[in-house]
Amino acid sequence: MADFFTNLALGFSVAFTVPNLFWCFMGTLIGTAIGVLPGVGPVATMALLLPVTYYLSPEGALIMLAGIYYGALYGGSTTAILVNLPGEAASVVTALDGHAMAREGRAGPALAISAIGSFIAGTFATCLIVVAAPPLIKLAQQFAPADFFSLMLLGLVLAIVMASGSPLKALGMIFLGMLLGLIGTDVNTGNTRFTFGISDLFDGIGFVIVAMGVFGMAEIISNLGNTDRRDLLTSKVDHLYPTKEDMRRSTMPIIRGTLLGSLLGVLPGAAAVLSSFASYAMEKKFSKTPERFGKGMIEGVAGPESANNAAAQTSFIPMLTLGIPASPVMAMMIGGMMIHGIQPGPQVMDQKPGLFWGLIVSMWLGNLMLLVLNLPLIGIWVRMLMVPYRLLAVAILFFCCIGVYSLNNLATEVHMMAFFGVLGYIFVKLRCEAAPLLLGFLLGPLMEVYMRRAMLLSRGDPWVFVQRPLSLIFLIASLILLIVIILPNVRKAREVAFQE
Amino acid sequence: MRIKIGQEMATGLLFILVGIGALIIGKDYAMGQWNRPGTGVLPAILSVCLIFTGGILAFKSYASGDSEITGLNLKPLIIITASVVLFGLTIDHLGLVIAMILSMSLCAYGIAETKWGEFAVFLAIMIVGAWLMFICMLGMPINTCPAFAECNVCWLVKRPIQAIYSMFNWLVR
Repeated sequence: MADFFTNLALGFSVAFTVPNLFWCFMGTLIGTAIGVLPGVGPVATMALLLPVTYYLSPEGALIMLAGIYYGALYGGSTTAILVNLPGEAASVVTALDGHAMAREGRAGPALAISAIGSFIAGTFATCLIVVAAPPLIKLAQQFAPADFFSLMLLGLVLAIVMASGSPLKALGMIFLGMLLGLIGTDVNTGNTRFTFGISDLFDGIGFVIVAMGVFGMAEIISNLGNTDRRDLLTSKVDHLYPTKEDMRRSTMPIIRGTLLGSLLGVLPGAAAVLSSFASYAMEKKFSKTPERFGKGMIEGVAGPESANNAAAQTSFIPMLTLGIPASPVMAMMIGGMMIHGIQPGPQVMDQKPGLFWGLIVSMWLGNLMLLVLNLPLIGIWVRMLMVPYRLLAVAILFFCCIGVYSLNNLATEVHMMAFFGVLGYIFVKLRCEAAPLLLGFLLGPLMEVYMRRAMLLSRGDPWVFVQRPLSLIFLIASLILLIVIILPNVRKAREVAFQE
Repeated sequence: MRIKIGQEMATGLLFILVGIGALIIGKDYAMGQWNRPGTGVLPAILSVCLIFTGGILAFKSYASGDSEITGLNLKPLIIITASVVLFGLTIDHLGLVIAMILSMSLCAYGIAETKWGEFAVFLAIMIVGAWLMFICMLGMPINTCPAFAECNVCWLVKRPIQAIYSMFNWLVR
């Protein structure tokens, strides 16, 4: 317990310096602004600002990147409530009841409850990280290469489970992503693979380039291709404060959502999205009047909003303890570390305790800032929503271009992004989700390295993967999950769950 | 008769094509021994898996129906992609300002609702903003003007901004 407080104190001493507070504030502010705008997700924003963080201190850089992430989640729910357009995938559910409340003239309480719920969830999840991280890191330090390999395999299988479309497509996208990840020089042998003799491909394709193309550019192209776009019927926000009745009705959903989100957040894949859907379904089960959901039930805002924020916080756990990118957002965080020469993994906590605990405490501070600052700023966000998409699209596209170009000052990388933009548009049209592709892209090369290392250590004995107990557990879990997806009745239940 | 290709069929075919392509390109990569896998092992495994997945998708589409691909719109696809490529082609030699004017105008041309007067004002604000932010403040090594027309006019603006920014940095540190 003493450790708990010394760690927190160290974190506060790092997070409470003027520059770090400033970057935390900037991160949450930019994140919210981006989250409010439909069409640019947190991944694209973090990708855009990744080159900029090079100019900050390592702590400032990571604190700002984290701020962008949860700021974007919060901003997404603002848009969902006010204009019935989910700014982020995770706030699709919030739009259902949140916008219904806004139409009844209760936009203020809906926004306030979503902010309060998010803050409570964030506080709980931060404490959970502080308590859970050290023992998990102890465990992770004993991981052998074989265990890492099996864990990543489990991560990829989970990504299939969490993908909302057809599992077969998700599986194919993972294979495709892994193949793309192999492009470049093979680190073990020095041979190049799939480079077509182009020297700019020898180092592989940057993750940011793929992410910006598949998420940023493809999003713009498909938005412009739709003829019916945004209906901006912004509701007026008169009074902000929820009534006692609202608070009473939201208490339990916030608690349930927080617990559910914290649990689901640790899983790789689209944790924030899944947990908000799951929480909505759960509130519907618990409610005495499930038929009134979708017509302005405050429970349908409080639960999912708490859940997705808790999940957003706890999804840092695999990244901080194992150094494994479990989602594209976490890959951006790892990218931020690498820019500053920090090798992510279990050793970060021991080697850079200030950075580690400072980042965790800053997450809580960021949530506090969101609560205090954003409710008064709602007027500004509403005005931002008025910027017509015809201008926004041009600006976003420019930011994608300059963001990619500023990585290495290479024009070829801008052209690669154009290629991935086209590919991303094809995926949108074929209803293939891009998230599994990115996960495969990230984990594929890592898995190859760990597999080879494991084989080398065992002198070429492939049984090492089942002889180590941890590795065996992960492998069995992956196998069970795979069987579960294939079973037809589970698949039906899953489809129903995603349709709600 | 026109052949309609549904979503799953098209996805399956795409996977199969990429898989076969990767197999052909990777056919000369060293395989190594069975207990010390070489460069070519993982690409080969992945290609086969991809072809297999694509095959199942295509078969499913054939056996139990498929949903149509809807709302395919080529105009924004071509123009947006072209404007990104244009940015890449111009940024190195013609500098930020010209690259922005060319690529953003092309992009705006692809958007049906563009009002050109409004766009011109917006473009000017964006150029000044981008210049201030990326070149003056952050000091990214990007040419402002064409490389052959180096001048020192913007230097007069740049230096004071850099001085203020570094003072700000000094203050918060």
